[in-house]
Amino acid sequence: MIQDIHDVLKVLTLSLLIFPAGVAAVLIFVAWFDRARSEATVNALVATGYTATVAAATALLALMASQGVERVVVPLGAWVAVGHYHFDWTLIADHLSVPFALFSSMLVALIGAFSRRYLHLERGYLRFYLLMALFGAGVELVVLAGSLDLVFFAWEIVGLTSALLIAFFNERRRPVEHGFLAFVTYRLCDIGLLGAAVWLHHTVGTSAVTAAPTATTPWASFAVPAGAAATAAGLMLLWAAMGKSAQVPLGGWLPRAMEGPTPSSAIFYGAISIHLGPYLLLRAGSILDHAPMAAAAVTMVGAVTALHATFVGRVQSDIKSALAYASMTQVGLIFVEIGLGCRYFALAHIVGHAAIRSLQILRSPSLLHDHHHLEQAMGAQLPKTGGHLERLVPDRLQPWLYRHALERGYLEGIIKDYALGGFLRLFRRLDALDRAWSRAVAQSGPQAARWSRAGRDAREAS
Amino acid sequence: MIWLTPLAVAGALATAAAAIYRASDSAAARSIAVRAVTAVALGTTGITIIELHLAERAATAWLAPPTGLALVPIAFSLTALVIVSLAPLASHPPRTLARVLLLLAVATAALSSTAPAAIAAAWLASTWIAWTEFRERAPGGDAARLFATYHSASSALAVAGAAGLALGSPAVGIPLLIAGIAIRQAIVPLHSWLPQFVEAMPLGIVVAFIAPQLGLYAHLALLVDGIPGEIATAIAATGAFTAVIAAGLGIVQSDARRALAFLIISQTGLVAFGLENHSPVARAGASAAWLALAVATTGFAMTLAALEARRGRLSLHIPTGNFARTPRLAVALLFFGFASVGFPATLGFVAEDLLVQGSVAEFPALCLALIAATALNGITVMRAFLYLFSGSARHGGELDLQRRELRALTIAMMVLLLAGLFPQPLVSLVQPRPAAATDATAAAP
Repeated sequence: MIQDIHDVLKVLTLSLLIFPAGVAAVLIFVAWFDRARSEATVNALVATGYTATVAAATALLALMASQGVERVVVPLGAWVAVGHYHFDWTLIADHLSVPFALFSSMLVALIGAFSRRYLHLERGYLRFYLLMALFGAGVELVVLAGSLDLVFFAWEIVGLTSALLIAFFNERRRPVEHGFLAFVTYRLCDIGLLGAAVWLHHTVGTSAVTAAPTATTPWASFAVPAGAAATAAGLMLLWAAMGKSAQVPLGGWLPRAMEGPTPSSAIFYGAISIHLGPYLLLRAGSILDHAPMAAAAVTMVGAVTALHATFVGRVQSDIKSALAYASMTQVGLIFVEIGLGCRYFALAHIVGHAAIRSLQILRSPSLLHDHHHLEQAMGAQLPKTGGHLERLVPDRLQPWLYRHALERGYLEGIIKDYALGGFLRLFRRLDALDRAWSRAVAQSGPQAARWSRAGRDAREAS
Repeated sequence: MIWLTPLAVAGALATAAAAIYRASDSAAARSIAVRAVTAVALGTTGITIIELHLAERAATAWLAPPTGLALVPIAFSLTALVIVSLAPLASHPPRTLARVLLLLAVATAALSSTAPAAIAAAWLASTWIAWTEFRERAPGGDAARLFATYHSASSALAVAGAAGLALGSPAVGIPLLIAGIAIRQAIVPLHSWLPQFVEAMPLGIVVAFIAPQLGLYAHLALLVDGIPGEIATAIAATGAFTAVIAAGLGIVQSDARRALAFLIISQTGLVAFGLENHSPVARAGASAAWLALAVATTGFAMTLAALEARRGRLSLHIPTGNFARTPRLAVALLFFGFASVGFPATLGFVAEDLLVQGSVAEFPALCLALIAATALNGITVMRAFLYLFSGSARHGGELDLQRRELRALTIAMMVLLLAGLFPQPLVSLVQPRPAAATDATAAAP
């Protein structure tokens, strides 16, 4: 009986990956071979696939809770094995991954349903659903992954589909540039993730989730290298999480991502994508437990982001930017919680924040309508809410802070001028040198080319 | 020892080249080439499958090169199929197309032997074929002169090095050969001929000359395990340096062809780095990367060529494209670009994962450089895709992929995806044989 239940749990876990991946595969096939498809067909496919995923995740959660199963491990075998190196595909369903898998599949399903009308007759209808399905499959794999290698595999897919969805309205330059900016940020931060995976292989021989739960990290986590190596792994993971979760100073892409369609914005900066950074840090709890400096860095980054984003968010004049900064603030706070070791609290915060923020973002195009509706119901203007910070900050400091917030803390200018600008200037100079060198060599090189030209001329003349 | 399969494949490709060389009609020549190469690709695949099946009984040692190289003729024939199927007629008249096939024939023929003289002969032949294209196209131009300068030096060094090895004096042969290979493989700072070559030549010729990586084969056949430790480390470091510098240079290019050139240089650096590792994991990665890059880079370059034929010279200055009319061309560019920089679910991912994981014990710092280079190359590909296919509401009504193009690209995609999703059979084939392998990283904690 017990064995049967374990088999059922394994099948359910596997189906969390297979349904979304299957939907994505069918849509890719349909798009590439240009098969006739209607909006209704596309929608029915996505709706069926994701409803099945949500049902499987719910059943998994319920069964695990009722049977008191802590963890389901689904080994899918060695994917690549050469010498001492193994890349195994293993899925893990536990206290951390199942809630994540459930809420992300639920949100993707919800956003799929919402977009049926929102994107009706839009030319990129199929493209939107294809990218969303692929994104959903990537997210399920990130959260169920049983090793950091596998996380990286899925992380890349999530990054690419996110960038392409931000650039969804591809006929305007701005969304395309913003999609590119997001991609650049992701890609640079992926260095941290792959670096951490390789580092774990090097130091402890595996990047698999093997460490047993402890009092501070109540779910299975990664094996921890000794001493400074743990700090290095923690910092690399923090770098990876900072890009995906738009933490200071890498958060510039987030408010710009609003140029994508509203439903996909809800996926990114409201709900799923932005929370993958905290997910990664939660999964790597064992490493943070053994690397106090890395944990302190997580707290610090989160605190600075929360402060920065709450100030900047207050001066935004459009609703989607304001919501983007509000998300950034909350995710900053989640980072602080993780850094301080409050793991379950952070998980609850993530789920709650994802739910409320997606609702706000999906409602944002109807903001004025909602306001009118509320005012009519109240029979008066809506009272001004918030403003606690304004009362706390001294008057003399307020203009300075206002200017600071308007300029987004000058962060982007600094990065553009110094970090990124310096890199681009250096390589442009190298490129110019390369061209100059090529010219010089070509003009003083051996005479072979001229001989050949002379020979050809002679042949033609004859 | 001479292996017959590569020779047979090379013979078939050369025959196809001879058949189309004097054709008067470009379209007819291309059509013959597509049919001939399809037959060659099918034949090569069939023979290789039989060989691998028989190899278990050790009955075909004289047919195919050691298992690690058995798959290379398939990769080359697939490369040929993609090139001839996508080669634009205007830039690929019959003679050019014939040279493309001849270049690939020479590169395949080289696989039939590990004798220094045979490799040197293939080296000279392929350089000469590329040079004849220059003579016809851009005689006396900067690119031709650079090519002449660099490749006369590289060929002379390779021939002298091969002679040194053949005469039994590796102390002289190896350094000369390394220098020759460094030029041929466009290792920074000896790379300057390549961007000019990519800018000036039809992309079919570019790919047929570069994708088989004859220099890499020379390295694999003549040098691996024969290079003293410090020099091997220096080569690995130079490979990693090349990968990073070229990746950075790729990002700042405003011309699609130049960006392609630096992408190629960066990836060549990665493979060179992998070969000088002593870990069998990294070597398996380098061999898998060789196969993946041959197909993926060809796909990327030829989709660029197809787009160029539809639009003219491609600029990466600002996003000014539109994929409304060419969605599949756009997706193909994105797919092959990412496949060449090791995106998940493609063979390149496995190859780069093995490269990085295998090299971390020996070269931890270089390994990080490698990861950074891959990240930067991904940015170059994404930039090319976004800037060429989006940012504008206008389009020139270009045609999407035609049936011939679609067929070849779909086959190449399926190969990369299948090998990427189920990599173990391929990886088992390309991993170094246990007798030669010294697992330097196995002792790592």
